[in-house]
Amino acid sequence: MHTKSVKPKTHPAEIATLLRGDVETISAWSESWSARRFALHVAVIVLGAGLYGAAMGWWRDPQQALFTAVKFPLIILLTTAGNAILNAMLAPLLDLNIPFRQSCSAILMSFTVAAAILGAFSPVMAFMIWNAPPMSPQAVSGATYSFIKLTNVAVIAFAGSTGNVRLFQTLARLGGSRAVAFRVLLAWLAGNLFLGSQLSWILRPFIGSPSLPVEFFRAAALHGNFYENVFHSLMQILTSD
Amino acid sequence: MNEQNPVPPQIPPRIPPAATPGDACRLGDDPAERAAIPNIVAAIDAILRHPRRVMFQLRQPDAGRLIAMMLLVSVLCSLIYGVVVGTFSGGTQLWIAPAKIAAGLLISALICLPSLYIFTCLSGSQARLIEVCGLLAGLLMLMTILLIGFAPVAWIFSQSTESVAWMGTLHLIFWFIATIFGLRFLEAGFSHSNARSHAGFHTWIIIFLLVAVQMTTALRPILGTADTFLPREKQFFVSHWGDCLKATDKEMKSKSRE
Repeated sequence: MHTKSVKPKTHPAEIATLLRGDVETISAWSESWSARRFALHVAVIVLGAGLYGAAMGWWRDPQQALFTAVKFPLIILLTTAGNAILNAMLAPLLDLNIPFRQSCSAILMSFTVAAAILGAFSPVMAFMIWNAPPMSPQAVSGATYSFIKLTNVAVIAFAGSTGNVRLFQTLARLGGSRAVAFRVLLAWLAGNLFLGSQLSWILRPFIGSPSLPVEFFRAAALHGNFYENVFHSLMQILTSD
Repeated sequence: MNEQNPVPPQIPPRIPPAATPGDACRLGDDPAERAAIPNIVAAIDAILRHPRRVMFQLRQPDAGRLIAMMLLVSVLCSLIYGVVVGTFSGGTQLWIAPAKIAAGLLISALICLPSLYIFTCLSGSQARLIEVCGLLAGLLMLMTILLIGFAPVAWIFSQSTESVAWMGTLHLIFWFIATIFGLRFLEAGFSHSNARSHAGFHTWIIIFLLVAVQMTTALRPILGTADTFLPREKQFFVSHWGDCLKATDKEMKSKSRE
């Protein structure tokens, strides 16, 4: 008797499964390719990170909000795409024998978790920005700016950490070893942070400065890089009297 | 030698199997919890006397109706409490204060709902979005019902003092007590959803309290009067509260000099 296999439908509620960290289901998802699931994850990244970016940029100007709403998801998607081949090669080299598609899918899922968290915090961030005094040189040097900056750091760090915890759990399930999962996660993190930092540098500003015009790219976007800048800052500290 | 041990071997006492949190007190085990909540009066009665009945009903397919009822009660109760708050200044504040309190509560809940759902999922809870919405609506309803209980006390004080800072503190205390009971309901509902940890939920409580408190500053004046419906100057709660206390201090000093 011929039985017709029924393909399970992709549903937005699947994001809840990702957030819960139901590793069995998540591992099964990563093993089979689904264009709809891929589209859903990209949509969550665009929407979640975009909304948070909009809330962040809104303090400077509505136009900056629009720019940051585009840039935030762009960084995530470009980092995933840019490191896809490297990450797929690193996994088997570090004893996690998974195909290219599976490594991409696992990374995309971790970014989806982070973006969903960012999206959920975007109303809180928007409310905070709405309550902040307008951005001015005085505001930027005051406690409000520091508070907003620290809140952003806390929310982004929480979202990123949670995404990576879920990624680690998935990798441990796929590789059957926590040690292997840890190695692969560290390698992927190093690569993603390296590329992500530079992409953030190129796509700056995100909040914007009251003394500079609102623009998508700074005029010097491609002059120098993030690490050169960090190096110069360090040298300035070390050589200053 | 075939010596037998006179002491019988020690048999460890049988340890009863560990009861899982949901087993002994699973929602709906008690037939009373399965009774439907047909109207607003029953909803108020259930949340005060049998909160587990509300939690059980929120898991049923027609939970939307119960949520709508709870939200309606929350709006009505906050409007009534708002009128009492408005009696402090009188005039236009008699409609502005209720409008701001009801809108502020609903907006605060709406702002915090996505993060509550995310924290619920992250803690491994199986609660659906509609159940989380229902628990939040339950929090609002319980909170506002309790505020109605405080309303006569608040009204008496509002008629006997002119100090905005004093009345503000009193309303904040009442609101805080009511919120604690509301959060207890929410946490009880949360613990029935197989959550692995409550850490995320406790973080969310801090976010909710901060948003709600900031809302009172964003929608000011609720107690006093102003030329505009909303403030022209943006301020954070702490600095606004500091300004209020300083103004009261100045006022008291000038009165004592007179």
